[in-house]
Amino acid sequence: MNRPVFSVLGLFDSAQQLMDAIPAVKGKVSGRLETYTPYPVHGMEQALGLRKSPIAGMILVMGLIGALSGIGFELWTEAVDYPMMTAGKPYWSWEAFVPIMFETMVLFACFTAGLGMLFLLNRLPTFRHPMLRSKSMPLITKDKLALAVESDGQSLDVGAISALLESLGARSIEVVEQPPAAGPASPRFLFRFAVGVAVTCTAAGYLTYWGVKLLPKTVPIVHMLDQSRLNPQREAPFFRDGFGMRVPVAGAVARGFMPYQMHSESEADLLANPLPRTEDVLRKGRRDFNTYCSVCHGILGNGMPTLTAAYGAKPANLVSETIRGYSDGRLYRAIMAGKNAMTPYAAELSEEERWAVVHYVRVLQRALNARDDDIPKETRK
Amino acid sequence: MNPGSVSMPENVLPESLRPVPMTAGPVSLEGLDDQVLSPVERKPPRAWFIAFALTTAVMLLGLGLIGYTIATGIGVWGNNIPVAWGFDIINFVFWVGIGHAGTLISAILLLFRARWRNAISRSAEAMTIFAVICALIFPLIHIGRPWLGFWLFPYPNQRAIWPNFRSPLMWDVFAVSTYFSVSLLFWYLGLVPDFASLRDRTRSGIRKFFYSVLSVGWRGSASHWRHYEKAYVVIAGLATGLVLSVHSVVSFDFAVSLVPGWHMTIFPPYFVAGAIFAGFAMVVIVLVVVRATMRLENLITMYHLEVMNKIILTCSCLMGYSYLLEAWTAWYSMNEYIHHTFWQYVAGTYWWAGWTTITCNILIPQVLWVRRFRRSYFAMIFVALAVTVGMWFERFVIIVSSLHQDYLPSAWNVYKPTLVDCGILLGTFGLFFTMVLLFARVLPVIASTEMKSVLPGMQPRHAGGSHE
Amino acid sequence: MNDRSAARILSATAVAGLAGAAATGPLAGWERFWINWVQWFLFLLTIGLGCLFIVALEHVVGAKWSVPLRRVPERLSSLILLVSPVALLGLLSLRVLYPWAGPESLQDPLIAGKSAWLNVPFFTIRVAACIVLWLLSYRIFVRGSMRQDQHRDPGFNVRVRRFAPAFMALFGITLTVMAFDWISSLEPEWYSDVFGIYIFAGTFLAGLAATTLAVQYLMARGRLPGVVPDHVYNLGGFLFAFTVFWSYIGFAQYMLMWYANLPEEVFWYKERLEGLWGPLLLALAILHFFVPFFALIPRDAKGSPRRMFWVAVVMLVAHWLDLYWMIFPVIGKDPVFSWPEIAFAFLFVSTALLWIRRAMTRGADMPVGDPFLREGLEFRL
Repeated sequence: MNRPVFSVLGLFDSAQQLMDAIPAVKGKVSGRLETYTPYPVHGMEQALGLRKSPIAGMILVMGLIGALSGIGFELWTEAVDYPMMTAGKPYWSWEAFVPIMFETMVLFACFTAGLGMLFLLNRLPTFRHPMLRSKSMPLITKDKLALAVESDGQSLDVGAISALLESLGARSIEVVEQPPAAGPASPRFLFRFAVGVAVTCTAAGYLTYWGVKLLPKTVPIVHMLDQSRLNPQREAPFFRDGFGMRVPVAGAVARGFMPYQMHSESEADLLANPLPRTEDVLRKGRRDFNTYCSVCHGILGNGMPTLTAAYGAKPANLVSETIRGYSDGRLYRAIMAGKNAMTPYAAELSEEERWAVVHYVRVLQRALNARDDDIPKETRK
Repeated sequence: MNPGSVSMPENVLPESLRPVPMTAGPVSLEGLDDQVLSPVERKPPRAWFIAFALTTAVMLLGLGLIGYTIATGIGVWGNNIPVAWGFDIINFVFWVGIGHAGTLISAILLLFRARWRNAISRSAEAMTIFAVICALIFPLIHIGRPWLGFWLFPYPNQRAIWPNFRSPLMWDVFAVSTYFSVSLLFWYLGLVPDFASLRDRTRSGIRKFFYSVLSVGWRGSASHWRHYEKAYVVIAGLATGLVLSVHSVVSFDFAVSLVPGWHMTIFPPYFVAGAIFAGFAMVVIVLVVVRATMRLENLITMYHLEVMNKIILTCSCLMGYSYLLEAWTAWYSMNEYIHHTFWQYVAGTYWWAGWTTITCNILIPQVLWVRRFRRSYFAMIFVALAVTVGMWFERFVIIVSSLHQDYLPSAWNVYKPTLVDCGILLGTFGLFFTMVLLFARVLPVIASTEMKSVLPGMQPRHAGGSHE
Repeated sequence: MNDRSAARILSATAVAGLAGAAATGPLAGWERFWINWVQWFLFLLTIGLGCLFIVALEHVVGAKWSVPLRRVPERLSSLILLVSPVALLGLLSLRVLYPWAGPESLQDPLIAGKSAWLNVPFFTIRVAACIVLWLLSYRIFVRGSMRQDQHRDPGFNVRVRRFAPAFMALFGITLTVMAFDWISSLEPEWYSDVFGIYIFAGTFLAGLAATTLAVQYLMARGRLPGVVPDHVYNLGGFLFAFTVFWSYIGFAQYMLMWYANLPEEVFWYKERLEGLWGPLLLALAILHFFVPFFALIPRDAKGSPRRMFWVAVVMLVAHWLDLYWMIFPVIGKDPVFSWPEIAFAFLFVSTALLWIRRAMTRGADMPVGDPFLREGLEFRL
């Protein structure tokens, strides 16, 4: 069955022959004149009367848009949206914006040139073009040059055109037919297409999942989350015993503090109370004694607190003769390091507070063992 | 005066003035296609496989070491304070520079209408793309947390902050990525008619499918050629601008700073000249091997090699001028820090690198003044290798020597590259040559369509026109 | 207006200019006198050197399209002969204009350190050496070419192609030396190593612009038969490309100094941006970059005689403005332009035009002895 004719073309051996043939054909036959060559031939555009390519204007416009977009974006981001001052330069530092502006200009212009030329102006890809199925196409891309009279919709006078081309020196003539119309897609193709879509979607989905959820947790990306440091109240593999919360080494002292060197009570005897016996000191001593010591030793220090019955242990009677005979240092040591059943109160009372309490204990001792001449003459009966 | 009345017949002209033919011996279009396109269609020879195995092994070594660096950290490199930029940036600048020769050959020589460019433009452009790929590795891996590299791109994000466009490092991102995309586009556009030839030479099957898709149905019609030619020439002009701007932007990385020895205003043109210099040396090396192994000596002739050697010589003189100017201006500046830095270049810790640079870049290429050496394979390979080494060391000297002793003596330190550094550098050479080998077997090494358009007799005669 | 009356008008303006210039010293100050002298001789010298460079470039590259045009820059480069004595006289300006030339300059340690280079005897030797080299090169290129008109020996091409690369090297050095000596050392604390390349870009452009103007002038009078718009198109291409190159170098030098903001470098720009100098710089950027760039983008523009003529005029004015903006700030905070500048303009422009007019009678209008002349005339895009 005869398909409608798309074009009649003649193959020539050289560009010179082709160029000579064109004026002889132009205007003599109906149909659009086109040439197919393996390489661009100089002067072909003018010979065929083709309009000049508008690509240069497109490129210029897009280049300018690129430049303005580039510098506009830079200006907006660095001076308007989040004004950033770097190296003391003003916000609108056009000198520093020029390089990127130039690059965006070139980028926009080049892609307009390349992609605009291929896809917009040449309207490629055209995989179904009749020329691609012709017998001449392989000869054309190799070394022959073709002059074709193409149908614009009307039917071509094949015989006349062929005769004309032959008379002008065409090596061979070909009548190129329109390709058969594309039928509906075959089931096989549809199946393959569906499988392709499914595979692509699955792959894309998995890649996204991997990229967003799994990849950030792989080494080394996760290094910053996984730090060798001590976290409070967590185990610490850094130490052999696994404890994060460490106790100070035996003998550790706070900075700027030198503890008294007293390892026994006799050494403690050597200490002297550094605080003066002022009312202020005694008042503080009384306050702390009432807070910490009166619970066990009683408000009067006589070993009779309100707790005894329930407590079980027998706290010392601080106003007894024995304890009256203790040195200040020994009393201090008892507060700091504890004595017998008494726990150390070093954590509760600072050094100064302890000495103040010692003063107050002396007051209690004097008060509960008062002599007659402790009372002023006026109040004596 | 009667112009045109005197014109000497060719055999009377002295030999050096006679025109040189484009090809050694006559070449038909069909013969050209067979010579250039058939390697793509048949299996490579054994030598190719051996070379490929070698380069792939070296490349994998490099990739492995890169993986080790990413997993462990930049501490496995020799970078320290103050030499915070070491092999990473040296290699980056080195490879970006090598790429520029390709663009010069394919774009700038197109604008000058130097027809000899057509035999070598395809390989040169391919080398540009491969060199830029090798270069792009380094900015990615040297940032320490490469998985966060996407922060460099200005996209709306919840950090509510934009990249710092005033920084030359950002200019680098835009410049090199633009250069890569434009080179790739330009290369592809040149390949479209060649893909059409390949498509028409294959009968059927997967190869025909790929060639059909890649050639986007190109049929060589005149109405397409006019858009194509115009777009191609304009992109060539824009790519020329890129050649100048990309390496200038790379030089700005150094020149905008205050490091003594870096803040020299001559850096932009000096870097561009150096890039072209190193790039042409690499092109010469690759072409000498390609033309010999693929038997293309009649298309890539001694004339091509000689002209490239002349360009290498010119660039060597330009580098000499730049060094002279830098040294003189360093003295003239009366700045003691700059004086110290320049003294370090030739007599400091890295004096050997400074002298390697001067010898390899300025002294050795001077042999190319002699015509016999310009046409001798041994001499040109030797010079090209010397230039490659010399240009690498030049970047080493600029970066390491300036950084290791700047303003504050308490911050002075010595830089010692580690084996990982050297391994990665070697690996990029492996990557580059692997890609070159693959290119030679998968794509036509010579732009056969462009070649066809400049062969003698292929263009119609104008009314007494010539195109020189 | 015919040639003879033009010559008479030019002579008259030259004399008027001479009178005005002579009066500048006593009436407006010797600084004003010498600064104009230096600026104008540099303007003419750069045009002459630019043309000599064009000639040498054509020989190095072996271009054939430019052979028919080559006599034009050859003749224009004779400006070097005119300017050499002017430059030597300019040595008298050293004491007046150049801070390092006076003995009190040695007080400043910065200048004292450079006095090995910046001292009057060495400066004089350098100027003389540069002039000698340029005159020798002029003889080899231009006189040799004119002699070739007679003997038609292609051996000249062979010999001059060997000399041309050596000239390029010498040209690079001497132009850089001239730039640093005459312009940069007006402010001896300042330094910029790309300055030589910057002046080179301006020089080459000035030479191209002058050549274009002269070519248009000769073509309009039919003195270049066979030279077609295709030749002029190439000149336009070079003008376009090197406009971009000049702008790139100028911008790079400015941006780098702006960015680092070092006081010892940036003061030079600060002086040249304050007051009215800033708007002048903007005018320079517009005339030297924007106008030629956008005027030369369209393909048709580069072949159109009218467009090329006006672009060349704008470029020469821009080159003058470039030198003015670099040099004049040393004598005052604001730009000065009044009768001294106009007098000097009259003097130098008229003398140069008269000189060029005379040069246009030397030798043939095209290098008729060159073996490639016919091929050059056959050049088409």
